[in-house]
Amino acid sequence: MLFEQTTNNENRETNPLPFAPPVEITSDAIDLETLNAFDGLQADDGSDLVVELIDLYLQDGSERIEAIKLAVAKADGKSLKVAAHTLKGSSSSLGACHVAEISATLEQVDPVECPHRVDVLVELLSYEFARVKKVFGVERQRRLA
Amino acid sequence: MRILIAEDDPVSRSILENLLGKWGYEVTTTLDGAAAWSVLQEPDAPSLAILDVMMPSVDGLEICRRLRRTPSSISPYIILLTGKHGVREIVKGIEAGADDYLTKPYDFDELRVRVQVGVRIVELQTNLAERVSELEIALSHVKQLQGILPICSYCKKIRNDRDYWQNVESYVTDHSQAEFSHGICPACYETTVKPQLELILQSPSVASTSAIEPCV
Repeated sequence: MLFEQTTNNENRETNPLPFAPPVEITSDAIDLETLNAFDGLQADDGSDLVVELIDLYLQDGSERIEAIKLAVAKADGKSLKVAAHTLKGSSSSLGACHVAEISATLEQVDPVECPHRVDVLVELLSYEFARVKKVFGVERQRRLA
Repeated sequence: MRILIAEDDPVSRSILENLLGKWGYEVTTTLDGAAAWSVLQEPDAPSLAILDVMMPSVDGLEICRRLRRTPSSISPYIILLTGKHGVREIVKGIEAGADDYLTKPYDFDELRVRVQVGVRIVELQTNLAERVSELEIALSHVKQLQGILPICSYCKKIRNDRDYWQNVESYVTDHSQAEFSHGICPACYETTVKPQLELILQSPSVASTSAIEPCV
């Protein structure tokens, strides 16, 4: 798994993400099957539920990531846990598996005891969220076209 | 049936609203535990609730504990819906008072059938409560005619709860669903009615006899 390789190197004095990967649009960022399951719930008024859910997710997800960063800066374990838990729930609901996994790990980590691990996870989370954002953006355009 | 959703995550909330609405349920939504608790305290509160475990202000587990501490004839059916996985978390939820537990991400059909189970249980509870209420009313009538009744040895009146001597017929009518029709038994006919009739017949002013027959 993506984050496990990084979190196992807790004692190494390295930058959180030394490789600075480019944000790519790849299909593994989300599980499209999960997203397509919502097609059966479309409303009769012509609005696209998936587009609504994507918009909600992207807005709320950005806010949760900001809340996570703030909690890490303040070493506030409780707030970190709450924000990571919520992001995990919404991400898994929409098939953003990697974001959900990283959030689940962040939920369990104490920012005071493992500050470096938390930093790495937050970086990874931002990266994965950016990937999801791109994929969702494309999917959104496709549906609105 | 009305279903309460308590969920702080807007994505999960929207999914639930759409699913339950599509399945024909009326939905009430709250964004945190305190608001959910407030809705559940209303007189016409929803009888089924889907609660997130981790919520601002009051969490789902605390709502379950509060509900189970509150004496009520019909308590809502609670489904905890959460991202917390594992047997320990499920045990904790059920011990707090939840009726069911589902983890995210969930299968839509699984949620649908679990909600249907909840609806069935709520309907059974409601029917049972109505039957118990009917039986309690019936029992209260039966109880009123139990125990020792003070009755006058001569006139047979009964002393009621207000210390008033009441005719036995009206007393029984007031304290049961029995009603009286009046007649004359053969013994009373012989000992009371017949002698009086004979007296009347002996009277010169009476030209003919009345045909009063005893009840047999």
